[in-house]
Formats: sequence, structure tokens, C-alpha cells
Amino acid sequence: MKRSREQTVFMITFLAPAFLLFTVFVAMPGIRAFAYSFEKWDGLSAPKWVGLDNFAALLRDRDVFAAALWHNIVLTVGAGLLIVVLSLLFASALHRRVRGAALFRVTFFFPNVISSVAIALLWVLLYSTTDFGVINSLLGWLKYEDFGRLNGAMDVARGWTGLANLELPFPFTGKPYLIYSLIPIIVWASTGFYMVLFLAAMEGIPESYYEAATLDGASEISQFWHITLPLIREVLTVGLVFLVIGCLKIFDMVWIMDNEWPTKETHVLATLMYQKVFSEYNIGYGAAVAVLMFIVVFMASMFTLRLSRKEALEY
Amino acid sequence: MLRHVKTGFLYAALLVWLIAVVVPLVWVVVNSLRTSQEFVKNPFGMPWVLAGNANELPVTDTESAWESVKNNYTKAWIESRFQRYFFNSILVTSISLLGIIGFGAMASYVLARFRFLGNRALYLYFITGLMVPAQLVLVPLFFQFTYLSHAGSALLAPLGLQVELHDTYTGLILIYIALSLPFTILVLTGFFRSLPGALREAGIIDGCSEFGVFRHIMMPLAKPGLVSAAIFNFIGLWNEYLLALVFVNSDAHKTLPLGLAAVSMQAQYKADFGLMFAGLVIVLAPTLAVYVVLQKQLTRGITVGALKG
Amino acid sequence: MNTSLRLLPVLILAITLCGCDAISHRADADSNVRVVEAAFFEGGYGIHWHQKIAEEYSRAHKDEGVVVELWGDPRMRDKVKPRILRGDPPDVMLDQYLPIWKMIAAGKLLPFNDVLDQPVNDSGELWRDQFIPGTLDSFTSDGKCYGIPTSFGAWGCWYDAKLFREHGWTPPATWSEFTAVCAEIKAAGIAPLAFQGKYPYYAWYSYISVAQRCGGLPLINRMNALEPGAFSHPDAIAAAKLWQDLVRDYFQPGYEAMNHLESQLEFVNNKAAMIFCGVWLFNEMKESTPPDFEMRVFNVPAVEGGKGNPKLFNGLGMEQMLVTSDGRYPEDAMDFARYMISMQNGADMASSIGVISPLKGGCPRETVGPPLQSVLDMIDAAPGVFNVRLYDLLLEWREQVAHIALASLMQGDITPEEFGRQLDEGLVRAQQDPDVIIPPFTPYDPASLGETP
Repeated sequence: MKRSREQTVFMITFLAPAFLLFTVFVAMPGIRAFAYSFEKWDGLSAPKWVGLDNFAALLRDRDVFAAALWHNIVLTVGAGLLIVVLSLLFASALHRRVRGAALFRVTFFFPNVISSVAIALLWVLLYSTTDFGVINSLLGWLKYEDFGRLNGAMDVARGWTGLANLELPFPFTGKPYLIYSLIPIIVWASTGFYMVLFLAAMEGIPESYYEAATLDGASEISQFWHITLPLIREVLTVGLVFLVIGCLKIFDMVWIMDNEWPTKETHVLATLMYQKVFSEYNIGYGAAVAVLMFIVVFMASMFTLRLSRKEALEY
Repeated sequence: MLRHVKTGFLYAALLVWLIAVVVPLVWVVVNSLRTSQEFVKNPFGMPWVLAGNANELPVTDTESAWESVKNNYTKAWIESRFQRYFFNSILVTSISLLGIIGFGAMASYVLARFRFLGNRALYLYFITGLMVPAQLVLVPLFFQFTYLSHAGSALLAPLGLQVELHDTYTGLILIYIALSLPFTILVLTGFFRSLPGALREAGIIDGCSEFGVFRHIMMPLAKPGLVSAAIFNFIGLWNEYLLALVFVNSDAHKTLPLGLAAVSMQAQYKADFGLMFAGLVIVLAPTLAVYVVLQKQLTRGITVGALKG
Repeated sequence: MNTSLRLLPVLILAITLCGCDAISHRADADSNVRVVEAAFFEGGYGIHWHQKIAEEYSRAHKDEGVVVELWGDPRMRDKVKPRILRGDPPDVMLDQYLPIWKMIAAGKLLPFNDVLDQPVNDSGELWRDQFIPGTLDSFTSDGKCYGIPTSFGAWGCWYDAKLFREHGWTPPATWSEFTAVCAEIKAAGIAPLAFQGKYPYYAWYSYISVAQRCGGLPLINRMNALEPGAFSHPDAIAAAKLWQDLVRDYFQPGYEAMNHLESQLEFVNNKAAMIFCGVWLFNEMKESTPPDFEMRVFNVPAVEGGKGNPKLFNGLGMEQMLVTSDGRYPEDAMDFARYMISMQNGADMASSIGVISPLKGGCPRETVGPPLQSVLDMIDAAPGVFNVRLYDLLLEWREQVAHIALASLMQGDITPEEFGRQLDEGLVRAQQDPDVIIPPFTPYDPASLGETP
């Protein structure tokens, strides 16, 4: 097909705005970030080319950098696993049309529309060690309350969960525990989204598959493993990539919950980068962190995609 | 029997989660109707204006109790300038959305429906942007804004004008649009590809221009995709914090997340929990309300996004 | 086609409309009004008093066309740091946790020397000479002073005199009395010490205070001079040990998760009996302190066998005002700083917001209530003050080394010896950084400050 002049003009005008915006405000700065990571610069005086010094400095300060990276990994794996398990459980429950499915679906999504700053502030209050800390009050109640005839069972449960030996109030947002305390928050905030996502995929599966399986006498659990899971594999992969990227980019919650002054015990990559650049004016170092962060995000996404593709072949 | 246990377990899990999600939110709302003193005394009490129980009363007459409750919201809305942040958030988010959906749809349409040299490369160029965390571009972008502002000012100096991208709505909106394009293009290109191509030819034969085809045939058909992309971007942008933290430096341009963070600090310094809870409610309520109203579209949006993207 | 163009104009219009925000008319250069922008950290002292002073100043200088616009924000740092980087900072800034030394090195701050060396009253007294000795030192390099403190910070331990009276406890003078009273308080079912565990900042000043009690000013001098092994000196180790034991035995459970506000609320609500804090505590908690709470301070107790004079305390000029070289009206900015920190405003500052002026006699006793009078008692009893400058001087050491080591020490993860080793090794590394400025240090004279070798 011969292309008319009008068509060419049309294509160019339609592509140009997106191309220009993306190039100027994403691609160029993205490439520049790599250049910055080879410079020593305080943002105030002239920059100096220092080669790989910033990356060497990262290695030298490896305690801090490795700690930040490790915290990201803890969050990704810890929160990610819980979210996947819970959201699949809930999605398949709703998929089988339990009573009140619409209510669950609507309410579970609530936290996803809330700003992460608000979530962080809310949980700071919930986690508080003062008298108004809801979670510590709840734990105290579970630990000390007289449950009458259930006391025996409660004691076993207390011992088994470690509650019996837990000193209350527990400082959830104290620096050594903050990262682990973030896991429930992330799970609380994100499960609804992935549940809706997986549920949407499940609803695309023809009902006849399940009917046939039921006739063959397959249990619901085996139906889940052999019908549902393989058929939502693609969406599951997309969800996993979102999850990994989201957990690696986390900033707001740590920043707010650690009162804007994170240290080695609480840093994640994003807060480390922000602090290096905007608090210490060490721009090259911050850029080096950002570059490594990009590489980690990139590799993690590729790895997840690759992993799921392999599974596809095996199936 | 086993079946009953399983069902029971499932319901228990769903109910526990329901409580975990809803109770904290209710707790915030209830405490925004109480004074700081009431809260510190008993964090689980009812607002006494509702319960009317006198034993945890910090004030003796109903009038002044009402005052202090209204006070929480007036303080947040007026003194802590939430009205301003609210306006800013609406302005920035809506203009960004227009840009994202408009430019995103235009580019996606061409990428999906036209064959030309470099199409695939251009598509991949945009998609790579998905892997770029905002943190990577943040710092260079910050300094690039300075150069661009200087260059623009030099250019417009003869007209007596100057350009400043830092700490303006424009700057933030441009970044929001640019950083949201990869995801939007990914979703919309998939969507436009799924539309029948014969429609375009039919339109052209009927005498429509290329733009006419896009506007009258393709855009209406793509509406579910556009809505889904818009909703995703809306949630993300409305709650965005890091970029706003760096690129907005004055109260006049602050968006809600920044405003909430600032108010939480002020509330802390004054031990003013009432103000804090009222601020939280002001931030939570609109998105929750919009969600409850639009939840059908949003859920459908996720369905479309997941299956087509 | 004509009607189909509806979408595009809307888009273009919207984008252009918001574009107007970025493009503006150039400010008139020869305007008659000089607007001086002042950005202040809004902390325990609030911002209203400072704004009142700015209004007064603007009124007095109306004829010259000078207007000071002063704004405050607890997150002022977040707003100002990017503005410094893009070369558009406020004229005056108040925040001691900006990267001040980096700015000094890059020539982004202006020295106050010319203003300091001018007479401020009829008797010809120089402004410089009005300051309490030592308060100008924090940001002085090569004889140039870059930061004017707006308050005098004194570190002590606070208690509720009423609570103590009811239980028959007395403020301790020595460390063994201190731990004894802590034990009694604990036995009475109250947490002995609240602590702002989220900020290692509070631990630093407390640790330094104990270090002086143990090792005296020679130890403080060694630290200030960045002497190798200063923090591993037996006296420094002894101080770290005392601090670690105190944390383990007597800190309120859950203190790690409390920020300044939460812990201080525990204190004013009598859930904890004492708290280490600076002099701003009183004003910071004014609105949440019950009316019958008798907030008083006592100096950090003497350590038995320690070499330090227990009447001294960790004191320094705080909340410095800085004038930026990229600002538009540096001279007006400095003049405003001089107006704010003057003898005539000192009493007003003390009575309105409980600030102790950095000027000698700037805070008359009759203008303040009993809580701050107890601080004045502490100040009057002391022959002088001491401080360890490393905290403000070495940003990266503070963030990456000191804060981490302090937290580990308090949690009992490391021994006091390991704590000293980490701080010392960090100092060696910090000094290897060519960008770090370390101005010469004038040591404290132990003899003149009441310490006998």
C-alpha cells in the first residue's frame, strides 16, 4: 500500500508528542543518570569525573548498601509471597461465588485507593507502643485476657506463636523491626488489587471446564491446581512483575514511618538514594545507587518473566 | 463434613480480612470526631457527641464538645490548607490524565495500526520505560529542569518572559505524563491491535480522514481500554509522593500526599491527634467515595488491563 | 473533519493553560520593594513568634521598601534542599541539619563577620561580644562565622517535681543516686526513663554528656580534635557502658519505636518519670502538659570517680540562621538576623516561646516560668559549656557511623568497646575524604571551667 502524504503527516503528528515527552523527560535523564554515577558532584560546585569511584564507595560502605538491598529483597519475597497466596485464596473463594462476594470484592480493594502516605501514618498509629496503639493492645488482650474454658488452648497458642515470651508493648516501628513491620502493611495494602486482578482472569475461564472436572470427580483443590492456575498463568506473571517492581521501588512508607531519618537499619534503596542526593548532596553516589537499583529492577523483572515462560514450556 | 470445615475456614479467612481492612478505616473516621484528649484517654471510645456518655468527657457542655469536633476539620481544611492541596491534586491529576490518555492513545494507535520502518523499535523504546524506576530519572531530571528553565528564559527574554519548571504545576505534570506513557502505551497498543483493522479501511473508503477514523471509529471502540488506563493512572498519580516531594517546594503547589505528610508533623508537634485524623479522613474519603461509585468500571478496567495488557 | 477536531483543542488548551504556570513575566528588577524570604524550621518553638518579629521588622523598614516574608514548616528541609541545588534558595534559612559545611565549601553561604563586628548599642558593644562564649562556634571556619544561633541549647534530664514529691524521690546528683532512684521508680510501677528512640540524635547528646562526666574536658577535647582512638579511650568506653546499662535497665519498654512526640507525651502523662532532652522540651510540650505538671530539669548526674566537672553541661548555639549567597538581598537578610537576635527581643522570646537567648543575659529570670527557671539555675551554676562538634561537622559519619553505632549500643548488639572502635574507625575514614572541611579547634581549658587534672 502506498502511503499518502496525509498519512505520513498524520503518523508523525500522532507520534511526536509522546516521543518528545518520553525522550526529554525519561530517556535522556535515564541515560544521564549513568553519566552522573561516574562523577563526584555536590550539585553546588563543578562536577569531577571519577570513573568507578562511586561504585567503589558503595562497596566500601557495603554495610549500608547491602543492608538497603537486603531490605528490598526481604520486602519483595516476604510481602510478595503472602500477597500471592492470600490473593489467590481470596480470588478463588470469590470465584466460586461465596455469599457476599460483591461486598468482599469491593471492600478488599479499599486500601489500594489510599495514598501510601496515609497508609503509613495510619499504621504508625496502629503500631504505636503508647496506650493508644491498637495492635499492642490487641496482643496484650490475647496474652493476658482470661478466656475461661479456652485458656488451655490459648496457652498452647501463646506458646506456639511466641506470644507468651513477647515483651509488650512491642516496638514494631523501632528501627530494628521496621522493615519486618512493613510486610503486613504492604500485604494489607496490596492484596485487594491482586485479588481483583486474578479474579478477573479466573472469570475468563469457561465454566464448562469446571463442570467437566467435577463430573470426573476432581476435588476443588485439584481443580484449582490443574485448571485455574495454568489458565491464569499469564496474568499471574504480570502480577508478579508488578509486585517485584513495586516492592523494589518502595520509598514513601519507609520515609514516613522512619520520620524522614532512615539509617542503615531501615534504609531501602530508594531512601538511600534520596538521602545521598538531597540530604548529603552526594549526587554521584546517589546516582550510582539509582543505577544499581535500575539494574536490580531490570534483572528481577526479566528473571520473573523468564521463570514463568519456563513453566509454560513444562506444562 | 470436610467440606463444611473447608467452607468455614474460607469464610473465617474472608471475614478476618474484611475486619482488618474496614476496622482501621472506621477507627480513623470515629477518632476524627473526637478531641485529642478523648483519644489519648481512650483510643477505642465512641465520639461522645454520638454516644453521649459523660464519663470520658473532657468538656462539660455539649456545645463546646461540638466545637472541638468541628475544630478538627476546620483546622485541617483551613489552617492546614487542605483546601489548597485538594485543588492542586485535582488540577495536576486531571491535566496529567488528559495528557497521558491523549498522547498515549495517539501514539498507541499509530504503533498498533500502521506499518512503518522502526515501528517495533519505537514500541520497544517506549516499553523499556516500564523498567525505569522514577528514582533513576529523578536526579538528572532535577538538574535538567534547571537547564531547561534557563534555556527557555534566555529564549523568551526578548518578550519579557521567563521560564521556571521547578516548583510549578507544569513541571510536575510534564513528568507525570512522561513517566506514565510507557504503561499507557503498553495497555492501549494491545487494545488497538485487538480492534478489527477492516474498520479503518471502511472509514477511509467512506471518505473519512485518518484523524476522522481515529476520532470517530477507533476512540469510541477503545473506550474500555482508555477508561482502564485512566483509572490506573489516576490512582497512581493521586497518591504519588516521591516526585512531588522533589519537584514541589512551596505550599502553594503541594499535592495532598505532601500536605498530609506536613500536617502529620504539625499535628505531632502540637500533639493534635484530632487534626491528624481529620486530615487522614480528608485524604481517604474522596478516593474511597470515587472508588465506591466507579468500582464497576474500575474492576472492569483491571479485567481489560490484565487480559489485554 | 471540522467537528472531529474537538478533542485536540481541549488537550492543547489544557496543556497550554498549565504551561502559563511555568512561563511568567520577568520580575521587575528596579522594583522599589525588596522582599526578603526567610525559611524557618518549625520545631518545638513554633513559628508564630518569629513571624511576629518579621512583621515588626518589615513595619520598621517600610520606608526602605524591605519586607521580610517568613514561613515555617516542620519539613522545611525537604523544601529548601532542592532549592539550594537549583540556585534559588531563600535569603535566610534556619535549619542546622542542612549540609551546611558542604555549602560553606562551595561558597553558598555568606559570613556574618561584618555585621558581627559592628556596635549594636550606644556603649559601642559589638554584636559578637553579646553572645554567650562558644555559641558562635558551630559553623565558624577560618574566623568566619556562617551561622547565627537563635537559641541556646542546654542538655539535661527532665522530671515532674510533683510526682517526685509525692513519692519522696529527689533529683539525683550522682550516677549511683540516679540508678537508685530509677530502681525506686521502676518498683513503683512507672517507667523510669522515656526516650525518643526513633531519633539517634537524642542518644548522641546524652552520651556526650555522660562522656564528659567520665573523662572530663580532656576527653571532649580529644573528640573535638578528631584524635585517633578518642572514642576508645577508657573514659569514653566507661561512658558508653553506663549509657548501655541505663538503657537496658531503666528505659521504657517500646522506646525504640517512639518518636520525640510519643515519648515526651509518655513523660508529661506520668507514664515515664524522666526524660533526657534539650531546653525546648518545655515549649514543645506546652499544649499537652497537664496544668499540675511541674516540669523541672536537673543536670546530668556526676559519675563517681569521673574526671569531669558535673556543673558543666552540653550547651551550644542552636537553630542557626544562615544567609545564602544565591539569595537576592543578603544585606537585608543579615540586618534582619541582627534584629531578631538582639537584647531587646530576648526577654520577649523567652516569655512567649520559652527560648533561652544565645545572648549573655538575654533571658531575664523574671520573664520565664519555673520550668525554664530551673534551666537558668543550671546555667547559672555552670562556669561554662561544652560540646562535641563532630555531629554537625561530619554528616556522613553521623548518618552512616554514629547513628548506627549508637542504636546498636543501646540495643545491646555491640559492646562499649566495639562502639568506640566503630566511631573511631569511622572518623579515620571521614578524614580521608578530601571534601570534608575540618576547621581548627580551640580546646576547652579544663582549669578555667572548674576541672582539676
